[in-house]
Amino acid sequence: MSLKSERRGIHVDQSELLCKKGCGYYGNPAWQGFCSKCWREEYHKARQKQIQEDWELAERLQREEEEAFASSQSSQGAQSLTFSKFEEKKTNEKTRKVTTVKRFFSASSRVGSKKAEIQEAKAPSPSINRQTSIETDRVSKEFIEFLKTFHKTGQEVYKQTKLFLEAMHYKRDLSIEEQSECTQDFYQNVAERMQTRGKVPPEKVEKIMDHIEKYIMTRLYKHVFCPETTDDEKKDLTIQKRIRALHWVTPQMLCVPVNEEIPEVSDMVVKAITDIIEMDSKRVPRDKLACVTRCSKHVFSAIKVTKNEPASADDFLPTLIYIVLKGNPPRLQSNIQYVTRFCNPSRLMTGEDGYYFTNLCCAVAFIEKLDAQSLNLSQEDFDRYMSGQTSPRKQESENWSPDACLGVRQMYKNLDLLSQLNERQERIMSEAKKLEKDLIDWTDGIAKEVQDIVEKCPLEIKPPNQSLAAIDSENVENDKLPPPLQPQVYAG
Amino acid sequence: MAAAGGGGSGAAAGRAYSFKVVLLGEGCVGKTSLVLRYCENKFNDKHITTLQASFLTKKLNIGGKRVNLAIWDTAGQERFHALGPIYYRDSNGAILVYDITDEDSFQKVKNWVKELRKMLGNEICLCIVGNKIDLEKERHVSIQEAESYAESVGAKHYHTSAKQNKGIEELFLDLCKRMIETAQVDERAKGNGSSPPGAARRGVQIIDDEPQVQSGGGGCCSSG
Repeated sequence: MSLKSERRGIHVDQSELLCKKGCGYYGNPAWQGFCSKCWREEYHKARQKQIQEDWELAERLQREEEEAFASSQSSQGAQSLTFSKFEEKKTNEKTRKVTTVKRFFSASSRVGSKKAEIQEAKAPSPSINRQTSIETDRVSKEFIEFLKTFHKTGQEVYKQTKLFLEAMHYKRDLSIEEQSECTQDFYQNVAERMQTRGKVPPEKVEKIMDHIEKYIMTRLYKHVFCPETTDDEKKDLTIQKRIRALHWVTPQMLCVPVNEEIPEVSDMVVKAITDIIEMDSKRVPRDKLACVTRCSKHVFSAIKVTKNEPASADDFLPTLIYIVLKGNPPRLQSNIQYVTRFCNPSRLMTGEDGYYFTNLCCAVAFIEKLDAQSLNLSQEDFDRYMSGQTSPRKQESENWSPDACLGVRQMYKNLDLLSQLNERQERIMSEAKKLEKDLIDWTDGIAKEVQDIVEKCPLEIKPPNQSLAAIDSENVENDKLPPPLQPQVYAG
Repeated sequence: MAAAGGGGSGAAAGRAYSFKVVLLGEGCVGKTSLVLRYCENKFNDKHITTLQASFLTKKLNIGGKRVNLAIWDTAGQERFHALGPIYYRDSNGAILVYDITDEDSFQKVKNWVKELRKMLGNEICLCIVGNKIDLEKERHVSIQEAESYAESVGAKHYHTSAKQNKGIEELFLDLCKRMIETAQVDERAKGNGSSPPGAARRGVQIIDDEPQVQSGGGGCCSSG
């Protein structure tokens, strides 16, 4: 406005028209009085500053959030946090080059010296925070709530977990084995730290470890479950096809000690199948393990009801194999690999869950290598069943396995009825033919008899009666009759 | 057993060893009866409380050292033989059971020993167990043969009867003691820094623990 009025005025100072920067070019009110070149420079500077400010704001917010968390736990939190922040920067810088997380925990005296690099490394951290979904948010909240009950240790654990997640963010390009190794190291280090420094009793350590696993694996799941860099998916498909090809395997062949004709047992079998299928829907390795355990418990119940004694491994493994064959759980290999790579090892190696999981691995290994011998079949039978030429169920339709579902049972029943009907129809047809033949024979017989009788007493045809024959010659008195009328022609 | 109570509650240095023990043996040698007798002290009993006898745990106190024993039963049928390595991976001990009335089952034990030594080396404590000594009359595997074989492969030999509850406590107690020794040797080796730190991860888990309050004497194995 002011510029305009000035222009309207009589006297306009030359300098007022020039670029504000004094570069000698004319300025333009649209560029806030700068010339085009200077404006561009100025504009960029301003934008850079804005971005910088935004970063700082984000940083501050994050710090506040953490501080709030810390102060709610202990009074001296703030002090250690500033250090943690610092340490975080330092480690961030480091982990970009170093492939192991262990460095986190070594109290290195070498303090981050290159500020520029720190600044750079810091940048992606908010982006990790941002990509949380509703579920991960919920899990995070639970995790923080849970850790609050452990005061100082909880705070420490939270810090370490955060650092680990950020480190993992940079390791996405590494092979899955290396990522698994890092995770396992992390589990071990956190647990050790809690025990030695925090003096946390083992039961509590176990509980905290469970929560840590839940927290980190909910976040990492997307990147480390069935990753593209491995052939997990191919293996999934192979085992799936294999199980489909083995659809004909009966419980008898596997010597499964489960009698599914008992309704309670078949109920258990269905539940076990549901559990093993459900495994795929879980994100956390421990939850997946829990599904396997539930499945196993149902298998044990089924065996117990059938045999009325506690199940040994000799009973359990065949039954589990049978359940896997019937259920054909989705992404079986991926799930097994994922649990093996990312589950807390102490749980996987010695606990009850570990035992059931090992059995599941055995079941899969058995299914992969299964041959005629392992089912007590002859090679020819096995080949025929595999190629789908025959099915053992058709052959012995009377005692077909009770595992077939209702529809299939009905179908077999109907097929049976149809074949019976067919048989009856054929019988009717043949009887009808017989009847027809009988009828023909009978008519023939009758005809023959008639013939015979006719031959025995031939029908004599007597010569015609003379008097009757002379009926025309009787006209002897014709001449006595008046002559027939003659047509007469009248003239006119 | 008396020895199990040992140092008892006095030992405050709270360390609990966790051991995994696999149970190997052919179908009908009585593996299940053996562990059920050990963990539940029951034999062919209708009142057995566990749903299953394939994974059982037992807490022990041996000379003040607390031990958590996890006993893994394995499927003994021939068709599952190839799956053995999946089961006995990372185990601290193996109990190889045969039936003294069944020559074949002893042969099977020999196969397993060979396999275990090949796969796990000398880190695993082996126990060869001749079960069913209540059927002494029908014995088909000679005591001398079995014992000298066990010695030749660095295993200990035991005679048990699950039915009469003979020799079972001794077997497990002895095994635990040996596993503790092995673990201690390992620890010392680790202390010297001779083994890489990662190696211990999947092996024995040594957990610090609060001192367990134990009623002195019998410990957990108060069978009798």
